[in-house]
Amino acid sequence: MKRLRVAITGLTSCSGCQLALLNCEAELPQLLELVDFRFFPMACSPATLESDYDAALVEGCLSMPHEQELLLSLRKRSRYLVAVGTCAAWGGVAALKNDQDREQLRQQVYGTDSTAALETFSPLPLNAVVQVDATVTGCPPEKEELIGLLTGLLKGSLPTLISYPVCTECRMKETLCLLTERSALCLGPLTLGGCGALCPALGVPCEGCRGPVPEANLAEAMEIYLQKGYAQEAACERLRRFCPGWRA
Amino acid sequence: MKAGLPTSATITSVRKLTSDTTLFALRCDDPAAAGAPLPAVASFLPGQFLELSLPGIGEVPISYCGIPSSDGTIELCIRHVGHVTIPLQNAKPGDAVGLRGPFGLGFPLKSYENQDLLLIAGGLGMAPLRSLLLALLVERGQWGELTLLYGAREPGALLFLDELLYMSQSSDIRIYLAVDRRGSCLEGIPHCRAALLPALLDQVMLQPERTHAALCGPPIVYTPLVERLNQLGLADERIHLSLERRMKCGQGRCGHCAVGTYLCCTDGPVFNYAMLKGIEGALV
Amino acid sequence: MRYMEISKLQRLLDLLRQQGELHSPVLGDDGVTRFELLPPGKLPDLAAIRTQLPPKKYLLHPQETILTYQADAGYRVPLATVPAMILFGLHPCDLAGISYLDRIFLGDEPDQLYLSRRAALTLIGVSCTPDEFCSCRLYPSPLEAWYDLFFQQSVDGIAVSIGSPRGAELMKILDDVMEERELLLPEDTRCFFGRKIPLPPESELDQGLPEWQVLAGHCIGCGACSVCCPTCSCFDVLEFGGLDGSSAERLRRWDNCLFRSHAEVAGGMSFQKDRAQRFRYRYRHKYRGFGQVKGVPGCTGCGRCRAFCPAGLDLRALAGKLEGDAS
Repeated sequence: MKRLRVAITGLTSCSGCQLALLNCEAELPQLLELVDFRFFPMACSPATLESDYDAALVEGCLSMPHEQELLLSLRKRSRYLVAVGTCAAWGGVAALKNDQDREQLRQQVYGTDSTAALETFSPLPLNAVVQVDATVTGCPPEKEELIGLLTGLLKGSLPTLISYPVCTECRMKETLCLLTERSALCLGPLTLGGCGALCPALGVPCEGCRGPVPEANLAEAMEIYLQKGYAQEAACERLRRFCPGWRA
Repeated sequence: MKAGLPTSATITSVRKLTSDTTLFALRCDDPAAAGAPLPAVASFLPGQFLELSLPGIGEVPISYCGIPSSDGTIELCIRHVGHVTIPLQNAKPGDAVGLRGPFGLGFPLKSYENQDLLLIAGGLGMAPLRSLLLALLVERGQWGELTLLYGAREPGALLFLDELLYMSQSSDIRIYLAVDRRGSCLEGIPHCRAALLPALLDQVMLQPERTHAALCGPPIVYTPLVERLNQLGLADERIHLSLERRMKCGQGRCGHCAVGTYLCCTDGPVFNYAMLKGIEGALV
Repeated sequence: MRYMEISKLQRLLDLLRQQGELHSPVLGDDGVTRFELLPPGKLPDLAAIRTQLPPKKYLLHPQETILTYQADAGYRVPLATVPAMILFGLHPCDLAGISYLDRIFLGDEPDQLYLSRRAALTLIGVSCTPDEFCSCRLYPSPLEAWYDLFFQQSVDGIAVSIGSPRGAELMKILDDVMEERELLLPEDTRCFFGRKIPLPPESELDQGLPEWQVLAGHCIGCGACSVCCPTCSCFDVLEFGGLDGSSAERLRRWDNCLFRSHAEVAGGMSFQKDRAQRFRYRYRHKYRGFGQVKGVPGCTGCGRCRAFCPAGLDLRALAGKLEGDAS
C-alpha cells in the first residue's frame, strides 16, 4: 500500500498535540509502515518543505507573520489540511487576551522602555486564514483520535467532528454529575466530547478544553451557573480560556 | 444475522457519470452456483436500498440503480458527498466492499399494472428511478403510457443522458428533460428546456384516474411537485415518493430514519403521499 | 407462599453467586447508585429508588464492537462467550425497560450481541417505593415487567414470586433459605405494567403548543435524558481502520435524537432542524413508538430523565396532556 505523505508542524503552541502523537509509542512502528512523515520538524530532521503532501496536520494558532507564510505554504502543497488541537481549531489559550489592546499587553510583558518590535498579531485559529478540511480538537487530542485521523486519511476519509457534549460521555460512564450534585462550574454541557469525560470522571469539573458544541445553549447553561451561585464574569472567563469566541 | 452482516463483494466496473457522480457495478464474491438463486442482496425491487460498506471507513445506504441481473451484478449510482462516498472516488475495479440488503419496500409495482406511469426525477433522484424505469421497460406490456420527467442543475449533471436519449427514440416512453440554469447550452439534447422540474408538468397530459406518479429528488422539490400533481387531479394515494434518510442499520433499530411514526428503512423509503401528508419534517 | 427472612439475605446472595456473576444496585463512594458487581460481604442497596444508568447497559454497551473486518475473511460478528449473570434488585420499571428492548433487538432476526447477553441474564426483581419523580402510578404501561424471580419486600423479609421456568429452577437452589408462610401482601408497582391501555392517538403533534419552545429553550443538550433512559436505544454506527492498514472494526454507540447530527444526511442537511422539532421526534418515539414498537409507549415511568436533567425538564407533563391521563 502507498504510504500517506504527511507534513506535521506546530505554530504558536506548546507542541503538546505533536507530543501526543509521539507518545503513541506502542503504535508508532506500525504507524510508520502506513505513514511517511515527510515534514515533522519536531520529530525528525532535515525539515525542508517538499512540493506536495497528502495531508498537513497543523497544531497551534497563528500569531506571527512567518507562521502565516508556513501555513499558506502547507495549504498550497497539501490535499487536506487538518487543524489539530484546540489552539488550531478555536484559538486556544494563546488567544486568551485577544479582547485587550496589543500595545498595552506588550508593555505589561516587556516593559515600557522595551524598543524591540514584536512581530506578532492577535492569535487566530487556522480557519481565519486558510480552508481547514477537518478538525481534531482537544488539548491535546486523544491518542485514538490522532491514530484514527491518520488511518482514515490513508483511505481518503476525513474524520467527522464529534458533535455531542462531554456530558453525554460522562453519563455513559455513569459518573457523578458535578454540575447538579456538587454545584461545580462544570462546562461539560457546552463542551465537545471525545475525551471520554476524563476530568469529571476524576472529580474535576470540565474546563472546556475541546471547544464549544454546535448549538450550545449558552443562555440556559448560564442560568444554571447563576443559580448555583457563580457570577456571570467567572463563568465567561472560564469559557473563554480555550475558546475566545465565547460571548455571553 | 444475514441482514446485519455485510457480504463480501468486489467492484467490477467504475464509470464516471459526472465530476461528482459515479456508476459502480459490483458482484458478490460468493456467487451462487449456476441455476441457484441469486445472493439475497442481488435480488431486489426498484426503490429498495442496500447498505454499502467500505472497510475501515463505514457504511452508507444507497438505492439500487439497476435491476436484478442473472449474473448477480448490482449497479449503484453514487454521488461523492459524504464520509463514505468521498473515499469511494478513488475506488477501482477489484476493490473489496461489503453489501447488506435489500432493505425497504420499494415501488408498489403490483398496483402499477395497466396504469399510466409518470416518473419524476430530480438530480441524483434519477438513480432509483432508473431502476424503476428499467424494470418497467423489461415488462413494457404490463403498463399503460410511460413518461419520464427529469431535471438537473445543468446539462452536464443530467445522469444517464445517453441511455435516456436512446430510450426516447422508441415509442415505449416519452422523456422530457429540464435544466435549472438559464442560458445553458442545450444543443444536442433533445426534449430539454431550461426550466425548474415542476414546470415540465405543464407539458404532460395525464388521466388522473389511471395514472401513478413515482417521484425521487431533493426534498425541496417534493412540495411543489405534489401540489402541481394534485392540481392535475392526481390523488395523494397515487403519488409515490422515495425519501432520503440516514438509515444506519436498515433493520428498524438504530432510530435515525423515522418519519412521523413510520420508519424509512422498513416502512419506506417509498411512501405514498397520503401516508406522509401532514407529517412534520417528512418532505423538507 | 415462599418467604425468606431478611437475616438470610447474605446467604441468599452467596447461593446466587454460585449461579453466575451477581450484579445489583450499589451506592458508590462517590454518591452514585449503579448496578455493579456485588462483592462477597457487601449488601445491595435495595432501598435505592433508581440507579443512574438503567440495566440496558448490560444488554447494549454504551460503545461496543459489532463487526470486525479482515481482508481475507470479510466482516464477521465478534464471537464472545457471555458468562451467566444475575441482575438482582431490578424494579418493575427496569424489567419493563428490558422487555421493551427485547421487542426491538430480538424477534425474527435477533441482534446476535443482544441475544447472547440477554440469554445469559437472570432477572430478579425487587419491589420499590416510588418517589416524586416516578410516574408508573400516573401512567400505567403496556410493557410487561417480565422477571425470573421477584422479591417483594415486607417488614422483616422477602416474599418470592416465580415468573419463568428459569426462575423455578433457581428457586430449587435457593430452597435452603426459604420457608413457607401465609401472607397477605399489598399490591406492588408490578401492577402498573402489562396493562391494556388505549393505543396512542394517530394524529400529528400540534407544533403550535408553547411547551415545545419552552423545552427547546431550556434544554442544554447534555444528552442525560437519553443516556439514562431505560428504553432509549438509538445508536450511531462508526468504523475505524486498523493499524495494519487492512483490518477494521465497526462500533455502535448510544445516540440521542436531540442532537442535530442524529437526523443529518450526507452533505450536512438535517431533517430535524431545530431543537423544538427534535423534541417532537423524541416525544413521538417515546410515547407513540415507531418500527417494532409502533403504538407502544416506551416510557416506563422510572423518572431518570427528570431526575438527571440539569435543567429540570420533564416531558411527562406534556404526555399527560397529549396522551390523556390514564389514571
